[in-house]
Amino acid sequence: MSVGKLHPITIATRDIAEVFERIGFTVASGPELEDEWHNFDALNIPATHSSRDMQDTFWTKESPPRVLRTQTSSVQIRYMEERIKNNILPPYRIIAPGKVFRNEATDATHEAQFYQNEGLVVGEDITMAHLKGTLNMFFREYLGPDARVRFRPSYFPFTEPSVEVDVWFSGATGGKGKWLEVVGAGMVHPNVLKNVGIDQKRYRGFAFGGGIERLIMVKYNIPDIRLFHAGDVRFVHGFEQKII
Amino acid sequence: MKVSRNWLQNFFESPLPSGEVIDNELTFHSFEIEEHVGDMIDVNVLPNRAADCLSHRGIAKEISAILDVPFSHDPLQQELPKWGKSNALTVDIEDTQKCSRYIGAYVKGVKIGPSPLWLKEALEAVGQRSINNVVDATNYVMLNIGQPLHAFDADKLAKKDGVHHVRVRTAHDGEEITTLTGEKYSLPKHALLITDAVADVPIGIAGIKGGNVAQIDETTTSLVVEAANFYGPSIRRTAQKLNLVTDASLRFQNNPSVQLVAYGMRDVLELIVKTAGGVIEGVTDVYEARPEGAPVSISLEHIRDVLGIALSHDTVSNIFKRLDLSAEVRGDTFIVTPPFERTDITIPEDLIEEVGRIAGYDILPDEPLPEIAIQMDNERYHGVERIKDFLVERGFTEISTQSFSKKGDIALANPFNKTKPMLRTTLMENMEDALIHAKQYAPRVFGPNAIIKLFEIGTIFTKNEERVSLALSEKLPELDMLFEHHVNPLQKGNIVECSLSTDMLISIGKEYTPKQYENSGMYKPFSSYPFVLRDIAVWTPEGTTSTTIEEIIRLHAGELLVRADQFDSFTKDTRTSFAFRLVFESPERTLTDELVNTYMEKITVALNGESGYEVR
Repeated sequence: MSVGKLHPITIATRDIAEVFERIGFTVASGPELEDEWHNFDALNIPATHSSRDMQDTFWTKESPPRVLRTQTSSVQIRYMEERIKNNILPPYRIIAPGKVFRNEATDATHEAQFYQNEGLVVGEDITMAHLKGTLNMFFREYLGPDARVRFRPSYFPFTEPSVEVDVWFSGATGGKGKWLEVVGAGMVHPNVLKNVGIDQKRYRGFAFGGGIERLIMVKYNIPDIRLFHAGDVRFVHGFEQKII
Repeated sequence: MKVSRNWLQNFFESPLPSGEVIDNELTFHSFEIEEHVGDMIDVNVLPNRAADCLSHRGIAKEISAILDVPFSHDPLQQELPKWGKSNALTVDIEDTQKCSRYIGAYVKGVKIGPSPLWLKEALEAVGQRSINNVVDATNYVMLNIGQPLHAFDADKLAKKDGVHHVRVRTAHDGEEITTLTGEKYSLPKHALLITDAVADVPIGIAGIKGGNVAQIDETTTSLVVEAANFYGPSIRRTAQKLNLVTDASLRFQNNPSVQLVAYGMRDVLELIVKTAGGVIEGVTDVYEARPEGAPVSISLEHIRDVLGIALSHDTVSNIFKRLDLSAEVRGDTFIVTPPFERTDITIPEDLIEEVGRIAGYDILPDEPLPEIAIQMDNERYHGVERIKDFLVERGFTEISTQSFSKKGDIALANPFNKTKPMLRTTLMENMEDALIHAKQYAPRVFGPNAIIKLFEIGTIFTKNEERVSLALSEKLPELDMLFEHHVNPLQKGNIVECSLSTDMLISIGKEYTPKQYENSGMYKPFSSYPFVLRDIAVWTPEGTTSTTIEEIIRLHAGELLVRADQFDSFTKDTRTSFAFRLVFESPERTLTDELVNTYMEKITVALNGESGYEVR
């Protein structure tokens, strides 16, 4: 006898995808090993930006070097480029769940590789209020009916305005709710649209991105992010799974 | 940026609100607060605002704009003095790309000594050490308005025809410097230096740290005071190379305004003369003007289209006024000329962010996305999930492993784990390891007699391409029902691996909806200490159920029992024997045999106490 189980990342990705598929999102994918254009330049991250430093990014020894993508925002770029190449103009709605890499010291809340989900919406009439509405809808579905988001000012090269998104969550902590920083977001920077050949006067968009492990950790009270990708069956079998 | 609330108060006539209010207002309109201890607030200044907000003046300006309380005075709006030209000092810049401005002042007759109490206290309030009146003056002005400054002992510099010559140039091959704090650095070729051009020796690493050659000490009477602007990326590169990030380098790497240099010089000279005496002989200003502060236009309509809420002319106009963004108004359009220190404002969206954050993002309505007919393209994703569902139904457990490996085709330039410097070309090695460990943990995880089946779907990186791959701990011929997975599979022992092509995934993903699972309850952590196994078999009267026995076992086993699985049962005459495998584990320590034996003893006594039971 053997009981099969899905990895919690798979279950979470399906939960996330199911919510977004209902409102027309495509689940997009792209390479984990990226060129500098898709991971940095096209995302309005100039060569002089600190996130291109050696200490944050894994570079290959190839010539020219490639990078292990530092965020799945690179998938946004590939998706938009491919659409424009095939003369398919917005509206676009995608999410891009996938593995990303950061060259940083690991501890209970940091891993050199983890999963991120990125969302992108581009259209003629997209506003920051849609961003708020979409994230509120998602977190209510994913974390429970009393979840709600709030925005704080932030900075990302690929969005302007940029915000940090906190979500109010009262699940795992036993009824006592708290605000958790879960997602970075903002309105797509006009340079990003320009870089992929979209008329930034006509179209606007919003984008958001955050770690999937962190969400699962909060929802199920998991103590250490390093448990996720250690190939350990004890972790996967630490959950009671039921098919819905 | 550590700021002091008392220091911030200097910019206002009316008393500032409580620390709690300041924290809250800054958090929701400007920057996160890292910590707040007593009078000290550590503000996490965002990278795009580092040019103006790594300063008390910058943070105070934010508070002024958010709370709509006026500044009593703004050092950046007060007039600059006109200095006489120095006859004792010349300045020469090798590359004005890397140093667009250098102001040097020659001050004579200073007396070095301790700083006045107010200055000492101000610095100590934000975690800085007081050194002497001149050095403290340079630090104070930097922390006050954001311009890094430096003072050299002029008498330690060489002279030619009675004149000091300062030259800003990149390092020569093999050049070295010993800094103020005594560390010796070999300078990389691209490093920008401040040099004594007469003696041709470096006296400072530009924008990072001063050298000990012309260090201020108690004998110093003449100063060369430096206020300059260095090219951010160059400073950052050198600071990183030398692993020497300083208050100065942090500020320069974020491209502060070239105009700020003069304000820094004005304030530091004033403070030096006040606290150390002396006379300003003259000032040399080498300035390559670069375009800054072009006007940016924004309309009310554009603000509404991005934020999703219509703000009135008055609201927007008021926000711009509070931020000192002087605007020429043409109907519903504002032509904004940002103040010089706001080098971050260059496009209309930057202004929309200013409006949004000062108004507060809580005013945004909750707008659902419009319902539109849109073509979704999810077959590939559904194809991957279909394979996972297929495998889980057949008893496979999904694992996830690391993408780095010992061997491979593509090497990392900067691997995190030096023993795994390559990208994996196969999932097999990780599968082998995972399987070995899974077998060790099997009694704990799966129970007795389990068949362990694992799979992973992950990315592999070969010389020519990146592929999605599937590894199985054993062959599954049924998988051919989904796709021909045995087309050239790799095999090692029982483990098999095959590629999942995009075309194949799309074709099997059509019309498939992934199953939704629910993880019920919280995650149950495993112990990092070894588990202990014990078997127990008991004769029971005919008709006794396994559940009854399990209940008795659980009732008496104590909380360290994490698993009880029946693995055998048979009936002989009128009695049934049940055999259970028990797993004990402590989250805190390695269990001793003695301790587990005491639990087993309790269970045995309890079982034997039941009528007709006999532990075998």
